[in-house]
Amino acid sequence: MKYTPLLAALLLAQPVKADEIWVTNEKDNTVSVIDVDTQEVTHTYETGERPRGIIFSHDYSVVYICASDSDSVQVMDPDTGEILHDLPSGEDPEQFALHPDDRHLYIANEDDAITTVVDTQTRTVVAQINVGIEPEGMAVSPDGAIAITTSETTNMAHWIDTETQELFANTLVDSRPRHAEFVKDGSELWVSSEIGGTISVFDVATQAEKAKLEFKIKGVHPDKVQPVGFELTADDTHAFVALGPANHLAVVNAETYEVEDYILVGRRVWHMAFNADKSLLFTTNGVSGDVTVVDVADRKAVKTIKVGRFPWGAAFRPTE
Amino acid sequence: MTRRFPAFKAIVLREVLRFIHQRERFLAALVRPLIWLLVFAAGFRAALGLSIIPPYQTYITYETYIVPGLCGMILLFNGMQTSLSLVYDREMGSMRLLLTAPQPRWFLLFSKLCGATFIGILQCYAFLIIARLFGVEHPLLGHLTVLPALILAGLMLGALGLAISSFIKQLENFAGVMNFVIFPMFFLSSALYPLWKMQESSETLYWICRLNPFTHAVELIRFALHVSLSPWALLWTVLAGAAFTVLALWGYDPARGMIRKRR
Amino acid sequence: MLSVSDLSFSYDTKQALKDVSFRAEPGRFTALLGPNGAGKSTLFALLTRLFTTRDGQIEIAGHDLAKAPREALAVMGVVFQQPTLDLELTIRQNLSYFAALHGLSGKDAAMRIDAALDRLDIRARAGEKARSLNGGHRRRTELARALIHQPKVLLCDEPTVGLDAQARAAITAHVHDLAEDGLTVLWATHLTDEVRESDDVLLLHQGVLRASGTARDLTGAQALNDWFLEQTGTPV
Repeated sequence: MKYTPLLAALLLAQPVKADEIWVTNEKDNTVSVIDVDTQEVTHTYETGERPRGIIFSHDYSVVYICASDSDSVQVMDPDTGEILHDLPSGEDPEQFALHPDDRHLYIANEDDAITTVVDTQTRTVVAQINVGIEPEGMAVSPDGAIAITTSETTNMAHWIDTETQELFANTLVDSRPRHAEFVKDGSELWVSSEIGGTISVFDVATQAEKAKLEFKIKGVHPDKVQPVGFELTADDTHAFVALGPANHLAVVNAETYEVEDYILVGRRVWHMAFNADKSLLFTTNGVSGDVTVVDVADRKAVKTIKVGRFPWGAAFRPTE
Repeated sequence: MTRRFPAFKAIVLREVLRFIHQRERFLAALVRPLIWLLVFAAGFRAALGLSIIPPYQTYITYETYIVPGLCGMILLFNGMQTSLSLVYDREMGSMRLLLTAPQPRWFLLFSKLCGATFIGILQCYAFLIIARLFGVEHPLLGHLTVLPALILAGLMLGALGLAISSFIKQLENFAGVMNFVIFPMFFLSSALYPLWKMQESSETLYWICRLNPFTHAVELIRFALHVSLSPWALLWTVLAGAAFTVLALWGYDPARGMIRKRR
Repeated sequence: MLSVSDLSFSYDTKQALKDVSFRAEPGRFTALLGPNGAGKSTLFALLTRLFTTRDGQIEIAGHDLAKAPREALAVMGVVFQQPTLDLELTIRQNLSYFAALHGLSGKDAAMRIDAALDRLDIRARAGEKARSLNGGHRRRTELARALIHQPKVLLCDEPTVGLDAQARAAITAHVHDLAEDGLTVLWATHLTDEVRESDDVLLLHQGVLRASGTARDLTGAQALNDWFLEQTGTPV
């Protein structure tokens, strides 16, 4: 009898849940769940049409997925893969950002030139802000005071005061900005420009451009070098930048803004997510339909995992 | 048995000394694969990566792809060079000196084969190190696990050279060997292109490549360099090696008379 | 002692040797005399087991070459017609290589090599490449090498080919001395001036042993060269 609690504990511990990387497959209308330890796909869940941006709530109890062609943000139970409900999102939501309050989603509506703010609790639209044409990249500062939308056609980063939900600044970036992110505790804003082939670095306090990253890969035509998603390492010293159809990641020194390395990954590398200790990086490779695992310290691609067609966004989910 | 070891050592050492003395050969052996690696691979413009095929776990550059093939090329050239020097030895008297040693003939030939293979492996490692300096890297552990693969592939290709040398009557015929053995073997293999690419252009070529023992030697090296094993390639390499060895021993059988020449 | 009985050999259809039998005795210099193409090289190839034949028997110092080839080869020293020194290696390396082929290594081999170098008076040059030696010295080195393992039978296949008159005379004299010291010597040649009156002569012509005996007994009053030309049918 005295073994019962132990037995129960063992039973409860089965199966051991590992850390996961969630990847949206744009063409398959699914998400693929990758086990970080075995580096294999463990689950594939159905989603709405053309899933792109993907974010977990702070407690990882739900996952938000931009289903662009379903014109909604879907809320999924990550344990079951069941769609709990949809959120109003405005038309064609592509990318979004979760406010540090864990409650408000800032959604870029590509077709309407609007940024929609949605309250995930009341499931209502709180605000709609007019921005430039074809907004895509979205970011909210760590202190929650500033939201950024980048617009593909206007080639601008629009700075939104989250108190008033109004624009307070617009800064020019290079052609077709794709992704924006606050880095280094919110002191810098980085914006990647796909066609321009650059990343613009802004000082958040002054909204002034302080640096511009440029990329050049031997043997690859400059037109193909199209920076999209990027992530900074745990200590903020280096950034990994996805270069789209150049099939490479750039490793950038985040202090000198110089490129130190290029890593070959799959075709049309788009976005990426780290594992828990940021020792591994998972990139989505759209055209080749797979995810490449990069050893961050070694700066080497170690494995490529087949997922659905046109993987787009990636998000990390830790063990419960 | 105790008297064999000095003989084995001496034959291997002689091969090594001879190789070192032929500085042009050493240089050519290193430069040849490097040209392929640096010029041909660059011209191939595959900076965007090749599709994933085993043993690779992720996308690789073309440079990475051809390194095992170039190791195979080193061993192939080395095997043919051995063959050439055997024919040369025969025209001179060195071969007679070797074969009149009071040792079994298979043992003398096997020692010779080991010496040649040893030199080939040295060249492969020199090449791998230089390739690494040029940024074409393979797993560190792979440099250890590739050793048995290089030995097997080297012995197989060396045995081929040995077998060929026993059937070549004169040194002048050697150019023919280059044209009819080295080039088809190298180009009709997985050394330069993955076989699926070959299959896209011609099913016949694909099957020739599949049957080519050199393909299997290259694949054995490729897998071993990535710390894995291709049992099929291993089997083929060993079988081909055994067949070439039997052929070589038959060619050098004194009852057949390898030095037998019409006068 | 070297003994050959009923030895025959054919290249495809052409008979190169027919029923050759002879003995070469210890302490004797036995000259195998024959014009080019007489079958001397074939005989040497069979004696050194470069190839074998089923017709006939060869015994080297009591060892049957077909049944116990290694024992037979171990007591045989050979100087080949072709140069066999590795010109890129030093003289000492050449000798060590040969010693090792015969299973000799370490101190034993080193002592024998030194002795051989001393006999040739080239110990000081042992570190030089064989290429630096002149033709006569190369041959003498090969001869010294053939004696490293202290063979009982010495086979020399036209060893004077390509040497100048002086070197030729020197090496011929040297091998005669070796025979006098008790070695069995078989010396193939087509040059009669290398043969002394007291030497045993085997006359090989068109694959057949035409005559054997001491030079003196065979030729009688005739000069050896005249006798040789007469026997081999070459006009005088």
